[in-house]
Amino acid sequence: MRILTFSLIAAFLAGVPAAHVAAQGPESTVYISVVATKLFVVGAANPQTGIHYQRPSADTVWQHTGAVNIRAFGVAVHPGSGQKVLYIASGNGLHKSTDGGATWRITTGWSITEVQSVSPDPFDPDRVYIGTPYGVYRTTDGCRTWQEASAGLSSRFISQVTASPIVKGQVYCATESGTYISIDGASTWARMGLSVGGVRTLVQHPRDPKVFAAGTEDHGLYMSTDGGAVWTRREAGIDHLTFYAIAFDPTAPDTMYAAGYVTGVYRSVDGGTSWKRMNEGLSVLSFKCLAVDPRDSRRVYAGAYWGGVCVTRDRGEHWRSVGPPDSQVWSISIQP
Amino acid sequence: MKHLMCSVGCCVLLCVLAPLAGRADGFEQRRDRVLQVAAAEQEYNLMTVLAKLKTRTDLDRAYVVLDSMAHDRAMGGMFFAYSMMGVYLHAHDVLPDTLRVKIREAFRVRTMYRGDTENHWVMYYTGLYLAAQTWPHDPGTAWFNGKSSDENLVEAAGWLNQWMHTTVTIGQGEFDSPTYMTVFLCPMLLLQEFAQDPAMKTKAGMMVDLLLADFAAEHLNGNFGGAHSRDYPDDIVNPLSAPSTMWAWFYFGQPAMEQWNEARYRPRHRGSWETVFAAASSYRIPEIIRHIATNRAQPYVHREKKRVRNVIRFSAVKNPPVYKYTFMSPRYVIGSIQGGILQPIQQHTWDVTFSSTRTHNTLFSLHPFASGKELAMFFPEEQKFLAGEVDRYHLVYTNPGKWNSSSPYEQTFQHRNDLIVLYDIADGVRHPHADGFFPKTLDERVVDPTGWIFARWDSVYVGVFPLSGAAWIEDSICWRWRSTSRRTGWVVEVRSVEEAGTFEAFQRSLRSRTPDAETFMRTGSVAFTTAGGDRMTFAVNGSRNLNGQAVTFKKYPLYDGPWMQAKVGEGVIRLTDGIRTRVLDFTTGEVRER
Repeated sequence: MRILTFSLIAAFLAGVPAAHVAAQGPESTVYISVVATKLFVVGAANPQTGIHYQRPSADTVWQHTGAVNIRAFGVAVHPGSGQKVLYIASGNGLHKSTDGGATWRITTGWSITEVQSVSPDPFDPDRVYIGTPYGVYRTTDGCRTWQEASAGLSSRFISQVTASPIVKGQVYCATESGTYISIDGASTWARMGLSVGGVRTLVQHPRDPKVFAAGTEDHGLYMSTDGGAVWTRREAGIDHLTFYAIAFDPTAPDTMYAAGYVTGVYRSVDGGTSWKRMNEGLSVLSFKCLAVDPRDSRRVYAGAYWGGVCVTRDRGEHWRSVGPPDSQVWSISIQP
Repeated sequence: MKHLMCSVGCCVLLCVLAPLAGRADGFEQRRDRVLQVAAAEQEYNLMTVLAKLKTRTDLDRAYVVLDSMAHDRAMGGMFFAYSMMGVYLHAHDVLPDTLRVKIREAFRVRTMYRGDTENHWVMYYTGLYLAAQTWPHDPGTAWFNGKSSDENLVEAAGWLNQWMHTTVTIGQGEFDSPTYMTVFLCPMLLLQEFAQDPAMKTKAGMMVDLLLADFAAEHLNGNFGGAHSRDYPDDIVNPLSAPSTMWAWFYFGQPAMEQWNEARYRPRHRGSWETVFAAASSYRIPEIIRHIATNRAQPYVHREKKRVRNVIRFSAVKNPPVYKYTFMSPRYVIGSIQGGILQPIQQHTWDVTFSSTRTHNTLFSLHPFASGKELAMFFPEEQKFLAGEVDRYHLVYTNPGKWNSSSPYEQTFQHRNDLIVLYDIADGVRHPHADGFFPKTLDERVVDPTGWIFARWDSVYVGVFPLSGAAWIEDSICWRWRSTSRRTGWVVEVRSVEEAGTFEAFQRSLRSRTPDAETFMRTGSVAFTTAGGDRMTFAVNGSRNLNGQAVTFKKYPLYDGPWMQAKVGEGVIRLTDGIRTRVLDFTTGEVRER
């Protein structure tokens, strides 16, 4: 912990601009977005929040890049950019770096705010989607211009928007009024069959485009195996109703993780049919985001509400907190 | 001057011994006084630093503090952005070149968080606008957000123009806040002073006029009367402790006191030092607005339409309307908004405020509602955590004894100096009770066998008829009326000695007009006949009826009253005091006087 604190303070005092993260190496790079710490007060002198990153071997040591104290809700890396093109979804708008975090630009204006999530299109280096409380927005020119892309959505409150990593042109989103899918790059949206509101997360199977999982506020965890037409609530082993995050193991997708409000972390090894809480070592129980390291899928990261990041190196059997302390971590992006 | 530099303690002593500067003298004396006192202040912030720079007081220390603030990378955001530019522009002539460079650099390396409220954005975009025009033609690499000077100027001007348009056509969101009025006034004062674009400069000056006139119409001897979108508990129970009192003193000359020196009115924010920006400004309040603020010869009704801040979920309407109704008299104000969730966290739905020099000169009721879902209507974070997060900032959000709250279970119906407030609290609500604030500084508080509670404050009488049983709880500053009945409410009438005669006569009159509480409990509807003979009926389903006619809000004006008139959507605000007329025409960007 002392090392972490020293590292952050030293970087902070030195005003170090983001050091840039080499694109390739023996380890993945873990990016997290820290919305706030327990000491955060709007407009005040605040502890450093925003985007932090590390290599797993750095353990509790995190580096910082980009602006501080901007309510950083999301972080993403454009696939295929060699980790040169980074994005931050924040209260100030959508930030973009094209040099691996050395310099940044806010690409949106006053009409786009409180950006909750960002998803670059893996099939198009110029196309990015963002979800906001006011709808979905899309750029097709590398963030030079943005257009609203909410046609067909009955709720403008978007918790999460995602460009499918396996189907070109497919985009899906979790909203206050359910789940929606687009097959034309968000030009039009169609409602999926999930009838509950307050959907907080919607994820797709890494290989089977017809399999989706959704986490909701107060309604539990649902899955669909037919592209979103029919959904079933998964209850075996589940004692909670609010799920903010679900993650598939990209190398063995029958292994899944789910977490939310005071849930700890659930794991399924049968494709979401049954679940088991895997909480040994967790010092907090509420989590906002989950990610599995694609380079070593035994390594799973869970971003806590007020508890920083917890990591397991054995698929959830044991967990350990690696900081940053007292942080609200809203998203994790792991780049192999 | 030397003694002023000693300490605030010296100031207090001096002001006890000496006549108050603001009492006999005019605006220029108050302006000088603000600068002098702030310049002598040992609490360092950008406003007191500006006062030192403007008065050439303790310059070396001011430079050190400013240097430190320019260096402090942890400081940032909207408060910093606009106030640092205010200091830079007002004190440009005395700033060393090295400091100018450091302040410029702050806008490259410092994060300027835009915030998530209306006042945050006004500050952010004012700061950005002034910075962008001050350092034109710089590339994106010279700015914290990666945008060029031109891009920043266009974006800031775009939002500021949009905000002004919204405010003058459908109303302000964070309206009539005794605290946050400061952070609308100061940015607009800076823009009207320093905007190089003549149109922006003129419109910013018109916004200052409008903000002050809006306050003036509901001002009574230093008090910001009636309902407020956002107010802090300490100021709600003690209205003269709010920063608005400092603005009243500064611009209206009332009350006759210096707020920072009088313990009874001690502002929460210590000195309300933001008035330094006003003191440094060339803006002078038009006499018509000062007259509106201080002419209380006749009682009047003043109505305003405002809007709810952006509702981002759980509602089909982004900015629902707020209907504000205020009855002003020489001795008291009674004012209200219609009830419901119109602002999260800090709503003050209604009150009676007495013109007085005594503390805690107010009386009101509320339902202390708290819910993560309410907060999630306005903030994007997860609703299960929002209440706790808000409690960290505002300390009292989930407190069952809090004195500020919106509630979906509270509704009001006001007609002149009579008001009915009803509570119909659902099962399962976190705090299922209603509270009433009766200050201990009342001269009399009598519980009558008829059920009426009669209160007297000097020559002002208040009758409160509770529609359910309740308990009295003694707090340090008040008697707290608390009803645990899910269905309850008050019928309130306020009259002065000039209107009602003696306190006994007031009581006799109300006893003869006692509402039927049993019917209310059974039907949810209550009827009351005012002293003027008007028949008000009001039900928990929201139906309001006056003399047999349904009262709706369909044609509610943006402003309506003897001093201010404007239609919704028009963008033209007409001020009049019977002698003069001042028209703020935002459609043309012109001020017309007659």
